[in-house]
Amino acid sequence: MPTRRAALATLAAATLPRSAQAAALRIATVDWSVLETLLALGAVPVAAPELLQFREVAVEPEMPGTVTDLGLRGTVNFELLLLSRPELIYSSSFYASSEPRLLRIAPVERFSIYAPGRPPFEPAAAMMRSVGARLGIVGVAERYLAETEAEFALLRERLKPHAGRPVIPINLGDARHFRVFGADSMFGEVLKRLGLANAWTDDTSYSATAPVGLEALARVPDAWIALIPPVPPGALEVLGASAFWNALPNLREGRLLRLGSINPYGGLPAARRFARLLTEALLAAEPGRG
Amino acid sequence: MADAALQLRRLPHRDLGLWLVAALAAAALFAAVVATRPPLPGSAELARTLQSILLWHSLVPRSVTALICGAALGLAGVLLQSVLRNPVADASTLGVVSGAQLALTAATAYAPALIVLSREGVALAGAVAAVALVLGLSWRRGLDPMTVILSGMVVSLIAAALSATIILAKGDYVLSLFIWGAGSLNQQSWDAALSLAARLLLGSVAAALLLRPLGLLGLGDDVARGLGLALHAVRFAVLGVAVWLAASVTAEVGVIGFVGLAAPTLAREFGARTQRQLLLAAPALGALLLSITDSAVQLLGSGFNDFAPTGAATALFGGPLLLWLMRRVPPAPPAQISDAMALTRRIARPFSALAVLAVVIAIVAVIGLVLGRGPQGWGLATGALFADLLPFRGPRLVAAGAAGALLGAAGCLMQRLTANPLAGPEVLGVSAGGGVGLTLALALLPFSPFSMLAGIAGGSLTVLLIMLALAGRPGIGSQRLLLAGIAMGALCMALVSIALAKGDLRAYVLLTWLSGSTNRAGEIEVWIGLIGCLVLIAPLFLATRWLDLMPLGEATSRGLGLGVERSRLILAAVAALATAVASLLTGPLSLVGLIAPHLSRLAGFARGRDQLAASALIGCGVMILADWLARLVAFPYQVPTGLFAALIGGPYLIWLLNRTGNRHG
Repeated sequence: MPTRRAALATLAAATLPRSAQAAALRIATVDWSVLETLLALGAVPVAAPELLQFREVAVEPEMPGTVTDLGLRGTVNFELLLLSRPELIYSSSFYASSEPRLLRIAPVERFSIYAPGRPPFEPAAAMMRSVGARLGIVGVAERYLAETEAEFALLRERLKPHAGRPVIPINLGDARHFRVFGADSMFGEVLKRLGLANAWTDDTSYSATAPVGLEALARVPDAWIALIPPVPPGALEVLGASAFWNALPNLREGRLLRLGSINPYGGLPAARRFARLLTEALLAAEPGRG
Repeated sequence: MADAALQLRRLPHRDLGLWLVAALAAAALFAAVVATRPPLPGSAELARTLQSILLWHSLVPRSVTALICGAALGLAGVLLQSVLRNPVADASTLGVVSGAQLALTAATAYAPALIVLSREGVALAGAVAAVALVLGLSWRRGLDPMTVILSGMVVSLIAAALSATIILAKGDYVLSLFIWGAGSLNQQSWDAALSLAARLLLGSVAAALLLRPLGLLGLGDDVARGLGLALHAVRFAVLGVAVWLAASVTAEVGVIGFVGLAAPTLAREFGARTQRQLLLAAPALGALLLSITDSAVQLLGSGFNDFAPTGAATALFGGPLLLWLMRRVPPAPPAQISDAMALTRRIARPFSALAVLAVVIAIVAVIGLVLGRGPQGWGLATGALFADLLPFRGPRLVAAGAAGALLGAAGCLMQRLTANPLAGPEVLGVSAGGGVGLTLALALLPFSPFSMLAGIAGGSLTVLLIMLALAGRPGIGSQRLLLAGIAMGALCMALVSIALAKGDLRAYVLLTWLSGSTNRAGEIEVWIGLIGCLVLIAPLFLATRWLDLMPLGEATSRGLGLGVERSRLILAAVAALATAVASLLTGPLSLVGLIAPHLSRLAGFARGRDQLAASALIGCGVMILADWLARLVAFPYQVPTGLFAALIGGPYLIWLLNRTGNRHG
């Protein structure tokens, strides 16, 4: 069996244009955080799930048109994955129950970035190193990690006047509810690394966080509200007319930051995107108060 | 007579006392909510300002919204029950709520401009479409309560399946909001309260004007017509008001289960007898009910987090309440279930017919294995490609087929056990009960397919035994049993959605189970399905005499020498286990357990043995077809099989019912 599959794969690989680094191995992934990482390293996978949504939510890194869309993340299309003939499949703890199926197609390597109560930044960095080592592009991975460190240092420096200020990253569910990201989320950890504080101190689960009524924002009157898309249609219009919303000190004093779309369960590229967008928005709204 | 005695006992002062207690409870709970508000940070002055904003722009409007929504739903419920002369009618059982919800979901996903334009308009369009469908389907049968409820249930399930499909296609984050945001009363302004108050006022005026015609309607069509009533005009007016109220509430705060069903029932319990009393009492009780629930949810939660979505919590208390009150529901006019039971024709040679069925299923299965889509479009898989794809196409096909067969058999057993043609694992709440069992198993047992199966089986069996205990009571009637099933199903789903709202990895497993995807089916699932069929279905053919005698009723069965208790218990256990195995494989929402036995009866399989075999075969075939289509319609994106089965089976069932109805009527 392996011989035929290997032969087919070699045949298929031979007919495809080779990118500089991802030379030898045909890789597929069923997880978005790995997908981000692969793209950031220039190791374009042959197949990955939910690409339409990925381009909309994660935005960067840029996705080449050659990647096959495997369908929804929850129900990865195994047939299509098989026909993409990968030689290695990257998975994550979210897809543990799919692993027996994936193993019939190719060897699987699993990462666990998001786990309850554990900050995800270090595991994401470890994932990048591991991917680099596996694909023989250690140099690229190390360079990316160094760039990440440098970018965070730079942003932290620029944010120095605001050090320790509370920020609450939220995602509006409708005009009455929001989803919040606590210390064990990627956003929470980025805030810490930028020298800011997460205004939300309660626990949050690491996945599909339960929405909270908007009135809870009264608990964090000092915080910058970092609004992460998607914003539901009409919600901001409704809020604009809401006495409660407009009475919040955060709103009265202009502490609402509207950011671009970011994948909340991403890898290092998502973390850097959040850090960059947040810093830009914050400095644009309140240039260094000293 | 019992009714008269009941009325004698119901002295006025007792009624007054009950009302007082209910009103005081609502007020006290709200006071407790206000008193136990969490402290706010910041300077004393800032905290004071914020607290007053919270009180006047959030807490008070929220409690007022609860009262108004409850009243509107209670009014809608009592209007629907009167006009349809159906004690189980309610905005949720008629599909109003799911129709509105589907329209809102679809518009949010594909035409957000419409939502910005008018949420209420979108919801109303969906609600009206759903009700029109439900009533149109049962029109020829004179809006017979059973047919209305069946159509309503099927339309609701289809709408819910479509909503879930859209949500799954648009990303998982929407789902948690869908589950929680649906039926949450959080407010930060008076907008919802004011706009709903205006609608409630208009609705009440309309109801007052319709009071006399409604009373006449209660006398029966002939009397009403004889007294010069424009029957259809009145009915449409009443329906229109009720649907509009329910759709407005759904548009503003989402799905609030049960209030419309519980409020009129409770009102009768509190002594309301005349139409006027009911029209006054039901909205008042609905308001108190929702207010009490909403306060309780806030008090039981911590800080700013509610304990559960209010809309789910109403089902939590509404379910048991209805179960408890059920035996006191005034006896309804005899339901014409014999029609639904009636055979179009009896098949002369059931064996040949079964063989034909089996061949058809085999052909569908082969097509399912061979025909598919790939990167290059449609294609027949042969040779090496077929061998490569078989490990993926095979298991899911077998799992789906086995689940379908098990559901068909389980539904057939339940219909015969309860002598109720509308019984089925989905309708009696047995599938949903499995969800509660699964929730418990996920919380208490180590994670494995077998602990999941044990949990689902335990939950299903518990619910089915409760339903059978109810069905076995003298004078329960199929209508009350159905009411109990709806109550039980809603109660169980409320428990499941509370677990879902916690949003952890267990919730993710529950969600996957709910959607009923066969995508991950592998060797374990195949063996569970096949062994399930072998152990649970095959032995039933040794007990076909039980199946033939059971629907004849307890006395007859006993007279013919059947150990009623024992055989009921055994069959119930088998049905519950079959449901459990099937829902492990394809989720709880497929409707196949209701459809397959129906189709087999409509096709003319009359005897217990034949109907059982045909139900299992039809269930198997429908599920295999659903699995194949679910794999292909949105390729490479896949629709969960359980949801898709509801999408293809539901309309077919409605169409068939309607067709037989025409022939008889």
